Amino acid sequence: MTPDAPRTSQSSHSSRGSHGPAGRHGGDRPRKPRRQYVRKRKVCRFCVDKIDYVDYKNADLLRTFILDRGKVIPRRITGTCSRHQRWLKLAVKRARNIALLPFAAHA
Amino acid sequence: MAEERIYELIFICRPDTPEAEIDKVVSTLGQVVEEQQGRVEKVDKWGVRKLAYRIAKCNDGFFVFLLIHSRQGEMIKELARRLNVSEPVLKYITVRIDEELKRQRKLVARRERRMARRARKSAGETAAAAG
Repeated sequence: MTPDAPRTSQSSHSSRGSHGPAGRHGGDRPRKPRRQYVRKRKVCRFCVDKIDYVDYKNADLLRTFILDRGKVIPRRITGTCSRHQRWLKLAVKRARNIALLPFAAHA
Repeated sequence: MAEERIYELIFICRPDTPEAEIDKVVSTLGQVVEEQQGRVEKVDKWGVRKLAYRIAKCNDGFFVFLLIHSRQGEMIKELARRLNVSEPVLKYITVRIDEELKRQRKLVARRERRMARRARKSAGETAAAAG
């Protein structure tokens, strides 16, 4: 959408964060300093690694996205984008079906 | 004629099953596939792995993976029936993956196109800056 301009770092930055409320920051406009720290922006691991198919057979990868209890970690915590979270969900469900991942931690 | 579809079939055997018996199950499945004009593209024995949960009092299982191309959807039903009646099989899953592979190919192609365009554009820009 936005024309590519690699000269200014600012424009490439704004084109990245197109979704999510965290993408709307004020840029470098002078403003009252309200927060001292800057929260690090989470990025989707799958987008960074350019994964186009979340394989349900890759249990080790999927295991990083579930809790010890066996529940899928919400994307507000992991920062996964909605599309990849959807694929991840499907993959986790398939992996559970074939006993690669637990449905729930057994007591 | 229906279009060709790609399936992944994984089944789990009891860990104490002799290898010969597992081969027998694989070959009977292969026969069913061939009867229906499909073909088994790949057989992969993952070996004994830990199960994430107990199935039929087993904590481990011997995993076998099959990649099947077929035009007959009915074949899957027959495979499921065979797996249900075969003694050593604990659990199985069949997943149709051709549409997901198609989507993956599309995304890869799109990314490559975009990279090519970007490379062309930046090359043009530097040329303009120089001239």
